[in-house]
Amino acid sequence: MMGLESVGAYAPRYRLTADAVTDAWGQFHGAGISETAVPAGDEDTLTMAYEAASRALEAGDVDPDAVSHLFLGTTTPPYEEEALSPRLASFLDLDDALETRQFAGSTRAGVDALASGLEVADGTVLVVATDAPRGAHDDEIEHAGGAGAAAVVLTPDGAGTVTDRAERVSPFPGTRFRPAGEAETTGLGVTGYDRRAFTETVTAAADALEIDLSAVDAVCLQSPNGKLPYRAAGSLGVDSETLQAGTTVHDLGDTGAASVLLGFASALEDDHEELVLLGYGSGGGATALAVDAADVAIVTALEGGETLRYGEYLRMRGDVTPGEPDGGGAYVSVPSWKRTIPQRHRLVAGRCEECGSLAFPPEGACPDCGALEGYDEVALPGTGTVEAATVIGQGGAPPEFVEQQAREGSFVSAVVALDGSRDDDGTVSTPTQVLTGADETVEVGNRVEATIRRIYTQEGVTRYGFKMQLAAE
Amino acid sequence: MRDVYVIGAGQTPFGSFPDRSYRDLFAEAYGATRDSVDSGIETDEIDEAVVATLGVGGRQLGLSGPAVTEHVGLHNVPCSRIENACGAGGFAVRQGVQAIKSGMADVVLAGGFEVMTDLSGDVTKYWLGVSGETEWERLTGTTFSGVYAQMASAYMEKHDATKEDLSRVAVKNHGNGAKNPKAHLGFECSLEDAVSAPAVADPLNLYHCCPTSDGAAAVLLASEDVVDEYTDERVRVAGTGAASERVGLAQRDSYTEISASSEAADRAYERAGIDPDDLDFAEVHDCFAIAELIAYEDLGFCDRGEAPRLLREGVTDPDGDLPVNTSGGLKSKGHPIGATGTGQVVEAFDQLTGRAGDRQLENPRYGLTHNVGGSGGAAAVHVFENEEVAQ
Repeated sequence: MMGLESVGAYAPRYRLTADAVTDAWGQFHGAGISETAVPAGDEDTLTMAYEAASRALEAGDVDPDAVSHLFLGTTTPPYEEEALSPRLASFLDLDDALETRQFAGSTRAGVDALASGLEVADGTVLVVATDAPRGAHDDEIEHAGGAGAAAVVLTPDGAGTVTDRAERVSPFPGTRFRPAGEAETTGLGVTGYDRRAFTETVTAAADALEIDLSAVDAVCLQSPNGKLPYRAAGSLGVDSETLQAGTTVHDLGDTGAASVLLGFASALEDDHEELVLLGYGSGGGATALAVDAADVAIVTALEGGETLRYGEYLRMRGDVTPGEPDGGGAYVSVPSWKRTIPQRHRLVAGRCEECGSLAFPPEGACPDCGALEGYDEVALPGTGTVEAATVIGQGGAPPEFVEQQAREGSFVSAVVALDGSRDDDGTVSTPTQVLTGADETVEVGNRVEATIRRIYTQEGVTRYGFKMQLAAE
Repeated sequence: MRDVYVIGAGQTPFGSFPDRSYRDLFAEAYGATRDSVDSGIETDEIDEAVVATLGVGGRQLGLSGPAVTEHVGLHNVPCSRIENACGAGGFAVRQGVQAIKSGMADVVLAGGFEVMTDLSGDVTKYWLGVSGETEWERLTGTTFSGVYAQMASAYMEKHDATKEDLSRVAVKNHGNGAKNPKAHLGFECSLEDAVSAPAVADPLNLYHCCPTSDGAAAVLLASEDVVDEYTDERVRVAGTGAASERVGLAQRDSYTEISASSEAADRAYERAGIDPDDLDFAEVHDCFAIAELIAYEDLGFCDRGEAPRLLREGVTDPDGDLPVNTSGGLKSKGHPIGATGTGQVVEAFDQLTGRAGDRQLENPRYGLTHNVGGSGGAAAVHVFENEEVAQ
């Protein structure tokens, strides 16, 4: 059976406080939640999946080439139809001989992806749970809704072991659902019935484990809000501290399919070792895993960086922004975008066959010697130095970036000299956006590193590609 | 090869004329150009036409040349449209010079036009943005203000230059444009106005950016064999040079110079047999304030990094050693893309023939025009000489 090698976790840096929602609505229905994580205007569940997965691979020092299986769980994919895994695999530079599965249907999807990963006989399994639930603006699902992603690498030699597992189902329709074609998740709000559905189902799965929950360090229990998990404490036979040690709901909100694995990451950060993971999905089902997580490596980025006002939140989520404008954009067709995916996703440059200089993108005559001989592929490390930069203010963006500016305001567009792959390489320059927080400015000379974000959406197809962010000091 | 002379040049006012058609504007410029020929010229004396336009708005992307020349009665005259973004007009003049030098034509009309102000802001930005590098550079959310702002950031990092230096370009060019009845923004501005204007793309503010304009301008070129039939004032195309550069900024060796400009200038000076010191005035491509600073250096008016000093010391003021953009430049006179390059030649012709009104310089001999496409992907430079002043 597979062992747990490493874990990565990510939450967007923006936060919306319960107070901000109360100011806007006069009330806040996200019980037990002080603030929620909000994806940036150019983030979604796919980019968050990359953030978590790349950290899990980093934590375990896992070669992306070694990954044989990619299992992804989410209830809010950017596209209801069209697989996310091929793009995520491309972002991460995974091998194309890859078995991929996508899990959906309820907030159990994340834990189910993990449970399925554990079934794999051999290889390296990358499990990713990512989610950003949305509801109607005035309801508890929306007020509780946060965002985040967590990833787990499974290998035969992984230090962490799953010692026991159980699943239970029981039909409870109507507690939380999203009809086909709808963007907002909803529920009937029958309080007692909803509590019963949650408590009975998770308790049934937990009771099927041999382990005594009162003896573990943390129970990572599905957290649709900050109160419901504690209502199950009695029937699960655990105290609130044990539940609190396994949830991020109070600070990140309801992270849906990522809830349990984010709680797991949080418990690992606090050096808890004996854990139970307890996923729940509406419709009526629960998955329980008993985990001995000693020596599981972990890298996380869960800290908040910037608090939004409610109006900024509506903009950031795209609820009040114009979408694709009239007037058209620079037309880069999807097939021609596809041709440049190695560059957009992984900064694959070229080394001139004639003189050895780097070119990015690796097309046309060598920028150094002018030869039209062709290029050998070179993977760049994704770091670089700002050579020129500007802040594009309101009204300064071309039409296809009007939506981004409407969501996030001014943005930095720069020329960055990308570091080469060898010590004797020079740099090779590319235009790029540089992500900044509220107080951050970008100056010539700043060091930056690449991540993946949404670039823009045209003809309904979102193009994902690299953007830079200021490098950690 | 035969020498080429400018026998006439004229233009519409540059400005905002959203209800006028591109044909109508071109016809006005054509008429003004014919009127400027001392001995007059008939339509059937024109052997060839070259027309510059980007085609902003897409109103007549195909056959946009014949669409205007046939409209003005240049029936059956061969016409080609030149597209090199904002530098198209300079290249149209170059094509005309080449046609005459080759012996295939004796009289060529080089014109340009653009209508930009009848479109929404989004549509305008779409059309401006398609001349930048579209696959990578534009997809970082830039239009030209952003790209020139990046150049400004690199320039200010490398050299001793401030936002005040950028603003001095606006003050000077608005001062000149205020004396030009054809200018789009023909008003003066103070240094304080120009420093404190709202940001467009940091470090560039509104006064560091030229307007989008409507207009048309044309030039009539004639061979040395026929020039005497049209005028006694011999304004010779003393030298012309052009060059291309990588379209995307990030692909270039330097972000603080435009190699297409310096190459084009070197070639023009060499053909004219002069040095920058010999120039009496210049019309340079100041689409953004930083572009005028970089132009001073690319065109050899000063060493690298010295452009701010020229502005601070008033060297390029109308009463300085080398007046630059006496017309008001793109900043004040306006920038109707396809008409800009030929419009620069209109100012050079007017200055060299004593027709520049309140802006008239004293007896200039050599004048230069410098027209750039996009952020430097193409540049055309011409040197004109009044042969009488030489004698």
